[in-house]
Amino acid sequence: MSEAHTDIHEPRILATELLWAFGVGILVAATLTMIVFTALTRGINPPSNVERIDPKTLHLSGEFAEHNLGTTVAPDGSVTVRAIATQFMFAPRCMAVPQGRRVTLRFSSPDVIHGLLITGTNVNTMVVPGFVSQVHTEFTSTGDLLMPCHEYCGLGHSEMWATVQVLPEQDFKPGPDGRVSCAQR
Amino acid sequence: MSIQPAPADSSSEPADDVDAEALAAAMRVVPLGAGVLAGGAVALLVLGYLAVYLLVFLPRGTVG
Repeated sequence: MSEAHTDIHEPRILATELLWAFGVGILVAATLTMIVFTALTRGINPPSNVERIDPKTLHLSGEFAEHNLGTTVAPDGSVTVRAIATQFMFAPRCMAVPQGRRVTLRFSSPDVIHGLLITGTNVNTMVVPGFVSQVHTEFTSTGDLLMPCHEYCGLGHSEMWATVQVLPEQDFKPGPDGRVSCAQR
Repeated sequence: MSIQPAPADSSSEPADDVDAEALAAAMRVVPLGAGVLAGGAVALLVLGYLAVYLLVFLPRGTVG
């Protein structure tokens, strides 16, 4: 193409590109505004609980000792689920939760970085050794939900998954120690 | 028969003669078509994002 042709068309191409950049800028600004607006007005934030724990003694004593894992209902009625993500399983493999009540989920890892999500919910977090990952949610419908590890953690990663069993309120009955296990089916 | 390199392959070779009118005619519609195609694709992407954000993500509630 000759110089003359370039001179004719270049301003139009530049104008088109600037218009496109302006449009994309508006879209990015609108998306960011929407995210910030919902974060401020509705508290929609990514989970950001910074709480340290010693991964070397995780399973020996304290909150994540074996007898303490699973679902616990406190005397005030609050429901907390504690689980360990480890190569290549979640302990416990099944967690019972009530429908329609706020549930606190707490996870930690003694070995490598894991991650998890619960299908059909917004629960989605990394599980990093040395930290407690905490999320809250309310399960709206009953049934068994899949909870896979979503952060590659080794050769057995694809076998690492657990079940979250959402029980109707009348079936969610804590024992005398406040603990609830998955219903046997 | 010798093989001539295509004009675009070598800066030392002269380019084909360009029909200025044909080029002007193409340049009138090509940017608009590209804009419509790219704009349509981006619009679909943004609509999909908005649908998931407003109809799926927000109703599921906060987890933080």
